[in-house]
Amino acid sequence: MSDHISGPRAIADPVADITDVFAFPCPGSPQHLVLIMNVFPYAGPSALFSDAIIYRFRVRSVAIASIGEAASFAVGPDEVTFDCAFEVPANPDSGTQPVQWGRCITPNGGTIPFRVNNEKGSGGEGVHVFAGQRSDPFFLDGPMGAKTVETRQLAFKKVGSDRLYGKNVLGIVLKLEWATLLKGGPMFAVVCETLTSGRRQIRLERVGRPEIKNVALSAKIFDQVNRDLEIRDLYNNEDAFNLSKDYIGAFRARLNANLAFYDGLDGKTDWPLDEHGNHPLTELLLADFLVIDASKPYDEASYFEIEQAMLKGRAHATCGGRWLNQDIFDFVYTLYINAGNGPPIRDGVDGPIVWSSKVFPYMAPPNLPAAGLR
Amino acid sequence: MTAPLASRYGSTEAPTTDGMIALLNLEAQIDGQQSEAMLDQPTVEAQVALIELITLRGLILGRIVDYECAEGLAERLARSETANGAAFVARARIRAALHLFADALNDLDVAEWLSPNVETINIERAAIFQGLGRYDEALAIRQGAADRRPSFETLGALAGLCAELGEIEAAERLYLEGRSRYRGVSPFPLALLDFQCGLMWMNNGRLDDARTSFDAARRRVPAYAPAQGHLAEVEAEFGDIETAVARLYPLAISSDDPDYTAQLARILGNAGRSDESRHWCQQAAARYDELVVRHPEAFADHAAEFWLAAGTDPNKAIRLARINLEVRKTPRAYNLFSQAVRSSQASRFAIGQQEKLP
Repeated sequence: MSDHISGPRAIADPVADITDVFAFPCPGSPQHLVLIMNVFPYAGPSALFSDAIIYRFRVRSVAIASIGEAASFAVGPDEVTFDCAFEVPANPDSGTQPVQWGRCITPNGGTIPFRVNNEKGSGGEGVHVFAGQRSDPFFLDGPMGAKTVETRQLAFKKVGSDRLYGKNVLGIVLKLEWATLLKGGPMFAVVCETLTSGRRQIRLERVGRPEIKNVALSAKIFDQVNRDLEIRDLYNNEDAFNLSKDYIGAFRARLNANLAFYDGLDGKTDWPLDEHGNHPLTELLLADFLVIDASKPYDEASYFEIEQAMLKGRAHATCGGRWLNQDIFDFVYTLYINAGNGPPIRDGVDGPIVWSSKVFPYMAPPNLPAAGLR
Repeated sequence: MTAPLASRYGSTEAPTTDGMIALLNLEAQIDGQQSEAMLDQPTVEAQVALIELITLRGLILGRIVDYECAEGLAERLARSETANGAAFVARARIRAALHLFADALNDLDVAEWLSPNVETINIERAAIFQGLGRYDEALAIRQGAADRRPSFETLGALAGLCAELGEIEAAERLYLEGRSRYRGVSPFPLALLDFQCGLMWMNNGRLDDARTSFDAARRRVPAYAPAQGHLAEVEAEFGDIETAVARLYPLAISSDDPDYTAQLARILGNAGRSDESRHWCQQAAARYDELVVRHPEAFADHAAEFWLAAGTDPNKAIRLARINLEVRKTPRAYNLFSQAVRSSQASRFAIGQQEKLP
């Protein structure tokens, strides 16, 4: 799972469980960036957004601070946020699916009201918003990923089994004029959060990069520092742009241990640890936000290209960020296991039930309840 | 004198998801997990999640059919996944909910043998020990868990046990402490806690506080049937018969749990509305008879209470109260049995007196 079911808190309440975050230049309209946050894994037809949660997009300007082995980003101090909040449906007893309304608060303080599941979305203040149920765009053979950890051997088959096939999520899509709405640029860091509403806002989940919590952080058995710690809710508590010193050692130890495990799966070392036992990817992954260069055109397979270029000491060639249809699970396993120095690692699942499109709201309409049965 | 519990937490709590949305989302979760469980080789996790979600819906909506469905799924899972501890824990939970305590404890022993996770399994054991009236064993586990990991769940569970032991001050303090640690937005855990708190007040004669707690649970989740049912009971005690009856009517019609029809029959009977009471009484009687055959351990106590009150058949009540006492030796079970015996003796005495009349 990308960030589906990523810890006890997410499991307790899927309406707060962010499954994926995407950020990409609008295909055919480079003055716009598209940001997407999906929540509610395995959403059945009646799923609605919570009226007690703020669904927040956070964007900051980011620059490359250093390249090579110590590659890192410098995140700017100024931040813009887009907060989406939802109402209690007004017609709960009509016998049909209740109509829910939401609103997006823009960085300027403007409000864009929208009706959930309205394909056309709503626009204003340089932002176009859609929210509603869509086909889950993520695809993977999750059980074989888990078996790989359990058996300490690559367990993927030629033809895998996708547990997300035909499943739906609740998605929020923002298409925004980045030059006028965002501060700085053209490189931006994007992270999404769910927070409790009310006076004292509590962060429930935060997601930037895919497969951080479930692939890179969840396994406990390799971590010699905290062998019995479910670390993911602690991780969710942290501000992605300002990690506190209190727990960063625990996150670093867990990432170092798990990334070293993945690197060893092909019997050779592609990511030698430094003298302190740090994995070369650890610091970049702890910078857990999508980095997108809005000055570059839309690209279909650009996730982590900026970071890889930084590690190799060259200029990046793509927009980075993350497009909906990229095979992230294969990419992440290949990156962690052989750093691209060997054949691609494939999980045997090469696409979702239906591909996302290049037209707003991008993600495919929701699947019928029985669509996942093959 | 301290202020009522509800007034001391109401204004400072973070908001929770509207109860109607939460219920629709619970349905959405069940739909999503059902499609997962229908796959050729569903994962144990998906099946356990489905069983727990259906049980939660049963608990909230007062739907016995959900418990029966969860029981069927758990039975099938434990039979097919004989080497998986989680499958046995899932079956133990639903068996405990249906008061099949001995079978549930056996399942937990198997689960512990298959996947040693003493802390998790002991938490399950504590709930069963509590149900059985083995309070010392339950307290040792609950107290230990709350000391090691003070959380909404562990403190709430310890509060429930203290309430059952009659340690009201400790229970109240733990309820407050537990709820202050709640970090989610789902309304169900807080509604369940409010309900548990309401029961404590009701059992200790503090009807004002009970009404406040049941009402808090109902406001959080309007469809929460047991909260509505108990609120109606308290309202009737306060003489607000019309409100109580209006609250119980939709439940009596929609729920397959006869508690609501029984309650309605009792309240209408006490209010002198005999014809209406008789109608609901007949419905409750038929349904209790049916359920006692299918799940004697689970329904013996409530059925006995019914036959002691609106059902007016103390002999039947004795038989059921005895079954209940055989299942669990709690003070409440002893009281119910004694009450049934007294009622039966009184009934026999009255008949004897009648026969002596010329």
